[in-house]
Amino acid sequence: MSNISQRDAFWTRIYEIAKQDRDVIVITADMGAPALDNFRRDLPSQFVNVGISEQNAILVASGLCMTGKKVFVYAIAPFIVLRCLEQTRVLNAIMNNPITIVGVGAGFGYEDGGPTHHITEDIAIMRAMPRIEVNSITDSVMASAFADISYNLKTTNYVRLDRQVFTDVYNANSEFSEGVSVLKESKGHYIIATGSMVHTALEITRRLEKKRIYVGVIDVYKIPINTSAFIKIIRKSKKLISLEEHFLPGGFGSAVCEVLNDHNVLVPVKRLGLPIDKHYCYKYGGREIIRGYYGVNRRNIEKEIIKFVSN
Amino acid sequence: MNKLIPKLKKKSYDVRSAMLEMCIKAETGHVTSSLSSIDILVTLYYGNILNHNPKKPSYNERDRFILSKGQASPALYAILADLGYYKKSELDKFAQKGGIFGVHLQDNVPGVEITSGSLGLGLGIASGIALGAKMDRELYLVFTLLGDGECYEGSIWETAMFASHNRLNNLIAIVDRNYLCVTDFTENLIALEPMEDKWKAFGWDTLRVDGHSFESLLPAFSNLRSRRSSRPLVIIADTTKGEGVECVANNPLWHGLAPKGADAESAKQSLKRRYANE
Repeated sequence: MSNISQRDAFWTRIYEIAKQDRDVIVITADMGAPALDNFRRDLPSQFVNVGISEQNAILVASGLCMTGKKVFVYAIAPFIVLRCLEQTRVLNAIMNNPITIVGVGAGFGYEDGGPTHHITEDIAIMRAMPRIEVNSITDSVMASAFADISYNLKTTNYVRLDRQVFTDVYNANSEFSEGVSVLKESKGHYIIATGSMVHTALEITRRLEKKRIYVGVIDVYKIPINTSAFIKIIRKSKKLISLEEHFLPGGFGSAVCEVLNDHNVLVPVKRLGLPIDKHYCYKYGGREIIRGYYGVNRRNIEKEIIKFVSN
Repeated sequence: MNKLIPKLKKKSYDVRSAMLEMCIKAETGHVTSSLSSIDILVTLYYGNILNHNPKKPSYNERDRFILSKGQASPALYAILADLGYYKKSELDKFAQKGGIFGVHLQDNVPGVEITSGSLGLGLGIASGIALGAKMDRELYLVFTLLGDGECYEGSIWETAMFASHNRLNNLIAIVDRNYLCVTDFTENLIALEPMEDKWKAFGWDTLRVDGHSFESLLPAFSNLRSRRSSRPLVIIADTTKGEGVECVANNPLWHGLAPKGADAESAKQSLKRRYANE
């Protein structure tokens, strides 16, 4: 599998699973995908479209879960995270009805959609609640694998899918149980990235190599972070750069710093992400331009990393 | 007269009394919200309406009762204790150290299906369960009791549309229509009437009953299992917030409170007087 959307990779696998298990139910809040067209056609009794009503989507999903169903709820990420946040908190975090919340359009995925369709707070919000695992998906291979992982999970998880199609960095033999993978080894510095920024990190480290600056890349795709696996990787590193397409307060970089602080790992960390004082933005012309507004386009990230590791 | 009615009237008093005692002792609890709901709950639990089994609280064929207005938990807790879901002595520890339950409803109490207190959730959960029952061809019914104030929540109407569209005729919602919210009467806040028309417009069958008359409540709940309609049913039960305790009834100032000191004593006397001739 390569170069297909994370959304289609995920739903194609769920479709295969659902054909074998009639308790698998997909609830969509009026959100489609080519792979879901097959699902709707072939498994209509396992497909529920609630319309544009995310609160009801989470409630009905949780009610179905109480009858033993394995439910996947799907919508554009900002809406399925934010509009129904209290439903998720009560029904899933407090009551522990395990469902899978699938949001498409992580970060600036809906690049020209403007700030209503961007989601730049979801990691901070979802990771603040117990019993909710955030799965920040990197590519279509991982998306497909997380269909199976979600199916077998006994807790609620939020699968944040990017809308953009990236070149796959994983392959059929990749293993995702650790929640953290080293994509590029380093004996000195590491960029720790999540979601779309993993691709950016790989690109930047290749450019840095040409300048004889060697920085590794770690992909963290499961939050809460697998502490032991993560610390084992970074224990001997010199400097760390966290990289996210998400507001900085409480976000991915904060999660990284919490782990380091709580385990007495004294490594300098530079957090790169969206500064909150830049507010929301109406910038168009592509993801790189929006990132540029926040100072996290490729050129700025590269510059910041050179400055940080050279000191 | 239905021969159950004298028994239900006695239960109505007993549950009120137990609920009042536990809230007075704890100095907390939504006494008036509970009093408003008790006759509906007594009908369901003692009027041979709900299929349930205190010895097997989670058996699959049970009817599901979803108390959406979670602030009425003291009323349900008193009933579940009386039915043997747990020891009556638990009521003495209501909202206190070592107790198993507090002011709002929680799903880990035997006989309780959901955690609530946050409003507007129960109807959607009940609809999910009703849909799951349909998918599995289960014959149990799903009941949910809503407060009228929670019908301001948009999620209620999202679900109302969903439930009728999906022909969830195994779903019965009851609205405890006491006309009072926290700060004022509903019709002063934002008018909820005509309530029956609203539910009808959302595709539901409707009934309107006197929520404190077993003569009115029992027929509304009878024959639900042989109902021919493909629509969900809402029973709007006109009630009085604080029913049975005159000194707290129909008064917005008593929302969420338990009477203390002299008020507590007068509340108990008021309840006794009210039921002396029943």
